[in-house]
Amino acid sequence: MTTELDQREDGELIGIILKAAHCRDFETMARTATEVSEMTRNWATHIPWDDLASLEGADDELAQVVADLTEMWEPAHLRNPVDPDEEYALDKNAYDFYRPAGRNLLTRTGDFYGWVQARRRTETWQYSRVLEAAPDSVAQITNDLGRRARGINFNSQDYLSFNTHPAIREAAAKAMHDYGPHSAGSPMVLGNTRISDDLEAALGDLVGLDHVTLFPTGWAAGFGAVVGLVRQSDHILIDRLAHSCLQQGARAATRNVVRYEHLNVEAVRRHLTQIRATDTRNGILVVTDGLFSVDADWPDLVTLQRVCREHDATLLVDVAHDLGSMGPGGTGVLGMQDLLGSVDIVMGAFSKTFCSNGGFVASHSPALKQYIKMFGGSHFFSNALSPVQTAVVREATRIIRSAEGDVLRARLFTAIHALRDELTGRGLTCMGEPSPIVPLLIGNEKLARTANRLLFDRGVLAFMVEFPVTPTGSSRFRLQVQAGHRPEEAREAARIIEGAIADSRAYLSSAFGSAPR
Amino acid sequence: MQLYDAIVIGARCSGASTALLLAQRGHRVLVVDRSSFPSDVISTHFLWPHGMSYLNRWGLLDEVLAVTPAHTTVEVVNDGISLTGSVPTELLREYFRDLHGDDSGVVQSYASVRRRVLDEILVGAAAKAGAEVRTNFTVRELIVENGQVVGVRGRAVDGELVEERARIVVGADGRNSFVARTLALPKYDERPRCTFAYWSYWSGFDLGPAQLHRRGRLACAVAPTNFDQNMVLVWGPSEWSREFRGDVPGNYQKALDFVSPELGDVVRSKGTREERIYGTLDQSAFLRPLHGPGWVLVGDAESAKDQCTAIGITHAFRDAELVSAALDRWLRGDASIDEAMTAYGDRRRSQNAAAYHDYVCTLAEMRPYRHDELQLFVALRGNQQETDRFIATHADVAPVSEFFQASNLFLLNDAAKESSADHAVFEDFAETSRSYQQNLFA
Ligand SMILES: Cc1cc2nc3c(=O)[nH]c(=O)nc-3n(C[C@H](O)[C@H](O)[C@H](O)COP(=O)(O)OP(=O)(O)OC[C@H]3O[C@@H](n4cnc5c(N)ncnc54)[C@H](O)[C@@H]3O)c2cc1C
Repeated sequence: MTTELDQREDGELIGIILKAAHCRDFETMARTATEVSEMTRNWATHIPWDDLASLEGADDELAQVVADLTEMWEPAHLRNPVDPDEEYALDKNAYDFYRPAGRNLLTRTGDFYGWVQARRRTETWQYSRVLEAAPDSVAQITNDLGRRARGINFNSQDYLSFNTHPAIREAAAKAMHDYGPHSAGSPMVLGNTRISDDLEAALGDLVGLDHVTLFPTGWAAGFGAVVGLVRQSDHILIDRLAHSCLQQGARAATRNVVRYEHLNVEAVRRHLTQIRATDTRNGILVVTDGLFSVDADWPDLVTLQRVCREHDATLLVDVAHDLGSMGPGGTGVLGMQDLLGSVDIVMGAFSKTFCSNGGFVASHSPALKQYIKMFGGSHFFSNALSPVQTAVVREATRIIRSAEGDVLRARLFTAIHALRDELTGRGLTCMGEPSPIVPLLIGNEKLARTANRLLFDRGVLAFMVEFPVTPTGSSRFRLQVQAGHRPEEAREAARIIEGAIADSRAYLSSAFGSAPR
Repeated sequence: MQLYDAIVIGARCSGASTALLLAQRGHRVLVVDRSSFPSDVISTHFLWPHGMSYLNRWGLLDEVLAVTPAHTTVEVVNDGISLTGSVPTELLREYFRDLHGDDSGVVQSYASVRRRVLDEILVGAAAKAGAEVRTNFTVRELIVENGQVVGVRGRAVDGELVEERARIVVGADGRNSFVARTLALPKYDERPRCTFAYWSYWSGFDLGPAQLHRRGRLACAVAPTNFDQNMVLVWGPSEWSREFRGDVPGNYQKALDFVSPELGDVVRSKGTREERIYGTLDQSAFLRPLHGPGWVLVGDAESAKDQCTAIGITHAFRDAELVSAALDRWLRGDASIDEAMTAYGDRRRSQNAAAYHDYVCTLAEMRPYRHDELQLFVALRGNQQETDRFIATHADVAPVSEFFQASNLFLLNDAAKESSADHAVFEDFAETSRSYQQNLFA
């Protein structure tokens, strides 16, 4: 080792200079400064290394030098203490806890719970709010600390405002009167009623497919359709952003899953060609949503279905969000692309437009219908949709198909355009296409959580989504519009939301948020 | 008094390259720096493939490669779980197309280039392209007229006070930016928890491609660099830095031995340390406003962050390309200054940039890896495509959010070819994890 290597390390030298500054020993300061490495001098150019001796006497200059040197000498977190609870709540993601360690299933979820509690205490936990009254375009809610708020409601999935529709309520009451609350069996046994058959027929009519199966939830329909049809040696191509019930169905059904780039039909074609080059014997299910519920966009289904047929693959489209609320006569994305009756398998959920739990799977094949009922699991081994729910959905389907349905959809879209225009006009980023879902991109989770906290008291109810609903770093408000929203309400909400975002950006001192790309 | 199109303060990664690119487009540029070249600055100097690609786009890569070893694969070892991979070329192309609109010059290799080498090449290229370069020139004052920065006053090498004016002043003057301090610009998105980092240069061994090891809250890296030497770096949470600096050489070796006993042994038994140990305690991350009347910031001046993903130089290059393209449009009259700067701002403050900022800052806290994170590394073994994508994510070539997406993570786990049973760290995980919380240097 050369003598040069015995030189003292920069940190130590800065320590000496600081100590000397304390005793106003300018000579030691200047002498030690000459020993500081070229690297550190070139980095800390704000410190007048060569002039330390000439500082003598000038108190403010000395104070500045001491401050600058201290900054290099002390780790930053010691200088800027932060509220640990808030830091923990804002900096972590659910992703950080999704696979806990240890063999004790009861105790190992503690870390996650600690984070949830920190988020509750800091009122940044957007989940588990409850309604205090029937949700309408305005709603009254309570958060899980018991605080109450009332606001313009973009938090309910009731696109055509059926919750307050007299005919829907009447249908529910009548079914209640005729059959009772009734959940007395699997649909395979004795869970269904006469109205179940009616409803299947009405839905078949709406999507142009003859054979429809009802499921007790939309989740059950998606999951059941995939695991019912696909075997371990089969393949699934699934849009990266397809609904969770389909993703988890895919995981449960086979290891041969390809998640293709969102909406990219060319990627599907490429993958299909690849698979068919080596596997001509097994099935391929291609899975996509109609309207995507966190991005508000939709695929080119015409090409997608054609590409599937060319490769002997089967297409499944989830129309949960668009059916009833958009498209000619409420036929959703299928109707908009003139595809009624020509997509292999269509599934949907009633919870967005049809004012009830439940879901369905439809196709032209009676065999497929019978097969999914038997082997989908979530149909056979779950109790049926209750008569009240069935009647509500049947009535909703009737209205959707009527002239009144057209009026409601027109109103809905007036409110959607008002909301989107107002948000965009304020420089905020609305994703996707005009549809009942208006995703307002925030990006950074901290910003989204803080904005969400501020919004609670300001008269707008909106659901903030983050991982695992969205990828990390792309959180957003998912605003769900209703036919009952007046355009003025939409504009007022946009104004309030903008204020909340601006204030949280200032609070966090963040330069990020709601930026394009 | 001459009027320049642009005066660039700082002549290293961000400044020299901005000056180079503006001069290449025919603009009158003055670039000044307080230091002279060749010289080093506090920074290790790992350049990811997109960093190298920028150099290639600017015609400087050959000059770098003539004196610097380069490789394409890196080895990343986390608690004994080893992954080896490269940044995929297709993702690199996508990165350039997305950010700059063309993907020319993409290379897949990386290198570790001493700053005394790299910065001198950049300064030389700026001068050759026609920029006026003044070293040993310290800017002391910004000239502001009607709220607009219009020039600088500074002390030249001979001690003379000089005044120069330009249509725009570019602050490329590093994390302690003089421009930012003078304009009293606020800091945004500060993340005070970061790493302390100490490194030096060793001869006597050649381990091939770069290795990056992490165990508990500590990490080390070795990369072959210029002059037949290796840059060997150790880092850990800044909470432990006071104790570390109590005995820098001793703790440096102690950290190596803890994180990678093999590497510790090579350094101890074969290595000769050629220089002093350099280090820094404070790398806390922040952003500053990007631009204002008469000024714009690039590189560390605008956004500094921890060294743990070794991205600063590459980001400085990215900024240089973005800002020079924007300024060029304005100087030519194709866009107003506001339009040009807004376009620059949108790219720098994009959602992906925010997600990456969070990623680096969270990594810099150096928490021990959680069970599921280590499990993820196990799941990645045997899946080269996703390993490469993970490395690309780490290097800011692929969006962080696309990798850390629920369905992707689930799928990776489901398709894992290897079981965690083969890796010692999982044996008494809770206990190991607890032991990692102990400050090794206390
Ligand atoms: C410990 C550490 C390790 C790192 N490791 C890596 C790595 O492995 N890979 C990587 O890519 N990045 C790394 N970085 C980050 C990288 O060093 C920076 O991002 C990069 O140096 C930024 O370049 P810059 O041109 O913006 O600023 P700098 O390199 O800091 O240059 C600023 C220049 O401005 C000059 N200047 C300042 N004030 C004035 C003035 N008033 N008048 C005239 N001139 C002035 C200075 O003299 C200096 O030369 C590391 C950083 C640190 C701290």
